[in-house]
Amino acid sequence: MATRGSGNFMRLVSDDSNASTLTEDFGNHQEELPSTLPGEQEQLPSTLPGEQEQLPSALPGEQEQLPSTLPGEQEQLPSALSGEQEQLPSTLPGEQEQLPSTLPGEQEQLPSALPGCHRGLEEELYFSRKWDPNLPLKNLPLSMQEKRKTREQRQQSRHIIDCCESWRRSQQHMRKRLREQVARVIWGLQPWSKTMHKIEGKFGVGVKSYFTFLRYLIYLNLLHCLFIGGLALAPALLFRDKNKPSGLTANESRGALDLLLGTGFVEHSPVFYGFYTPVSIPHGGLCLNTPLLFLAGMAAVLMLSAVMELRRTVIGYKHTWLLGNRYNLHMCYKVFCGWDFCIQDPNSARLKHRLIRNDIRLELQEESFHQRVSQRTFRQRLQLYFLRGILNFLVLTLLAGSFSLIYFATHISNKEKEGWILPLLYEYLPSISITVVNVLLPHLFRRIAAFEDYSLTWQVNITLVRSIFLKLATLGMFLLFLHQKDLTFVKTNQPPEPPAKLNSSKNCWENEFGKEMYKLVVFDFLAGGLNAVLLEYPRKLLVEKYPSCSLVKAIGKQSFLIPFHVLDLVYSQTVTWVGLFYSPLLVHISVIKLLLVFYIKKFVLFHCCVPAQRSFRGSQSSVLFHFTLLLGLLIAVVTLSFNVTMRTSSQDCGPFVNYSSIFNMTSSCVGTLPSPVQRTIHYFTSEAFALPLILAEIVVLTSFVSQGRANRKAIERLKEMLIMCSADKRYLVKKHSAWLRTLKSSVSAGTCEDARPTALKDPSGFQPLLLRSVSTP
Amino acid sequence: MGNKQTIFTTQQLDAYQDCTFFTRKEIIRLFHRYRDLAPQLIPLDYTNKPDVKVPYELIGSMPELKENPFRQRIAEVFSEDGEGNMTLDDFLDMFSVLSEMAPRDLKAYYAFKIYDFNNDDYICVSDLEKTLNKLTRNELSEDESRLVCEKVIDEADLDNDGRLSLEDFQHMIIRAPDFLSTFHIRI
Repeated sequence: MATRGSGNFMRLVSDDSNASTLTEDFGNHQEELPSTLPGEQEQLPSTLPGEQEQLPSALPGEQEQLPSTLPGEQEQLPSALSGEQEQLPSTLPGEQEQLPSTLPGEQEQLPSALPGCHRGLEEELYFSRKWDPNLPLKNLPLSMQEKRKTREQRQQSRHIIDCCESWRRSQQHMRKRLREQVARVIWGLQPWSKTMHKIEGKFGVGVKSYFTFLRYLIYLNLLHCLFIGGLALAPALLFRDKNKPSGLTANESRGALDLLLGTGFVEHSPVFYGFYTPVSIPHGGLCLNTPLLFLAGMAAVLMLSAVMELRRTVIGYKHTWLLGNRYNLHMCYKVFCGWDFCIQDPNSARLKHRLIRNDIRLELQEESFHQRVSQRTFRQRLQLYFLRGILNFLVLTLLAGSFSLIYFATHISNKEKEGWILPLLYEYLPSISITVVNVLLPHLFRRIAAFEDYSLTWQVNITLVRSIFLKLATLGMFLLFLHQKDLTFVKTNQPPEPPAKLNSSKNCWENEFGKEMYKLVVFDFLAGGLNAVLLEYPRKLLVEKYPSCSLVKAIGKQSFLIPFHVLDLVYSQTVTWVGLFYSPLLVHISVIKLLLVFYIKKFVLFHCCVPAQRSFRGSQSSVLFHFTLLLGLLIAVVTLSFNVTMRTSSQDCGPFVNYSSIFNMTSSCVGTLPSPVQRTIHYFTSEAFALPLILAEIVVLTSFVSQGRANRKAIERLKEMLIMCSADKRYLVKKHSAWLRTLKSSVSAGTCEDARPTALKDPSGFQPLLLRSVSTP
Repeated sequence: MGNKQTIFTTQQLDAYQDCTFFTRKEIIRLFHRYRDLAPQLIPLDYTNKPDVKVPYELIGSMPELKENPFRQRIAEVFSEDGEGNMTLDDFLDMFSVLSEMAPRDLKAYYAFKIYDFNNDDYICVSDLEKTLNKLTRNELSEDESRLVCEKVIDEADLDNDGRLSLEDFQHMIIRAPDFLSTFHIRI
């Protein structure tokens, strides 16, 4: 039986050389073979790390990046782990610069490659092998006793080094341990980690990734809350003029309706733009005033989100697309990473077996689908394209229909003062139409995609892309219609309200805009809550009480449709970003909303859903989701810049009352700075800076693209080299075993006794032995 | 360091702490878990390094391993005698490698050994078939099973010898996004 943890693999019997037991020793040196062969050394890439310098120059850059952070949770692993991961995947973990020819003790012992001696050889070789002293013991692939022996060896060798060095090493050791402990504690402190673990066990990794995404959005919004609270809210609350009338009259407040519509006491609270007045902070000079802080807060929030989202998207992109398309390893991952070793419950185990089986069958179906596609006749393809054209046209008409619905809803919606239900309905009409459209159409798209004869993953992707486009486009169209509505409103010369009413709705378009976004957010949340209470729970009760009814069986319990839920989250975050400038407390509201959404979705998941029959490829879609979030951020930024530059801020409300545009305020602030600073700022905003910057960026991009191409070519070349090397190896093993067979037969025949000692006791080492093996037949 | 435990000497505990990813408390806790498998077999005093092994049947009935289709292979890979009967050292080693703190390449190495059913240092077609059968409880048909094995070899075999060596396996598993999260046991 092979000894456990042997670093040198013992290849007991290879099918080429079943007669020779001496291939064990040969197998021990299989890694050393290529690099010691004369003449071939320069060409061989060598499987051992540490020889990277011989490889084509384009490579090292790529190799350092390979095992680095993965999308999702891997970035948050303890720092010690990520440090380990950045090392190259070596063939044997722990064995770094030990080139074969430098392994101590091996060369002289090879000559004792005689039958019966190999066990002693192997053990000697084994313990004479020195593992990299910087690698911690825990990471070595050895059994416990071997690790203890290595530990003793290291401690002995530590006595030889002087005390300064050993003290430094022990300090390093303690610091590493401390870091690991702290990282573990912090990692364990993350909220809901137990819940997520339970979800992962019961419903799979895909559903857990949804909740991880939700938690990430909560963190993001909390960070925004800090910025907004510190830079916009606190100055406004601390420094505001207490003498100004609040503008609230008794007959305007309508209680709970105000909360829903954003009127009344909510309108005059810090929730909306109108609350923030321009006040200069005492002792701060011309530059330090609340408008500037407000602007700074908003800009900081948007830039922070952009940076975080870009980082996540790029990391995910690097991993899934650059490597995923060329290395299509899906079946391997299903087989080797399919089973979750944490499963303890027999039901979950049964479920997992079924999931794996279905997954594998799915993959095989896709394979056969691809084969079918390649066998389509010309006529079939023509028919298919015609059908797809019609269905895409159908999708476009659906989109156009939804846009026109939103258009009508926006223009019909006006402010009614009487009653309770009617104003609510009218004001919420755009939100209701957007939500209805966003809920119905993705399901329709899913059914349509089923007719288009794509492979299953493509169907999911196409539905996703269409749904994303739907959500973002409806929001964009809604903003456009709002803007149009405001313009037509201004054009019809309505007499302005008497100026006594501060922050009144007619004069403050920013407040109106903020109110629309506020209503969107509130309605989104209400729709989610009502959906859970009125649709999901009764559906579950129905399925449980009348299991035999055929209609009920047709509906069935739903499974947690991850892509649609994630798109909902992305949509709500986009709305928050768009409305941020005009309704600063929207982030705080969205934090509370996301927290509640977490618990609602958890309830729906645990009580109303069945686990999905197919597993969801979370890692690939997470890139898509972060990219969509980025697109949403882009929409928010574009809308904001359009509003800031094209529309004049209203003169009655908001922090920019005294300036005709926001840029006037910033330029007046810049004017107070010392003149060298002013000149630098002028230079940075001029064309003389922008043009060289663009040119430099183009040059940098070109160099990266060409390096990427060179890397790809190098990878292809290396792959071919690898195949050739292993073919060489097999040939040489055959030759060697043939030689050994003749040697054995000659030994047993009792002839040529002298050939053995002179040949094998050659102290110059391994090389001559091989030369001989190649030359003798 | 202030712990009043009499199971191990300080040096033994230090050695375990260095050789595994566990802290002192966790090592003591794991020792008690190990002992609970066969209390009459395992002494409470390990200071004189007794040579006791827990037979495989008891290891395989642990709640963490009971539902795992590869439990036998795991026990064989980590046990000294290769049959699945584990000493305390093997037990600690096994859970250390399978813990969350173990790095990717270490886990990849042991995963390779676990999936290599015939211990010839290559994952060949027969190993893959056995893996598949364990994964799907023998419910895939022969054809499907054969197709899957061919596809796996096709995807992962870099040096074109029809089986997966350690390098091929590591090269493939390094990119797997789920590997670290699936190949771990919480104890």
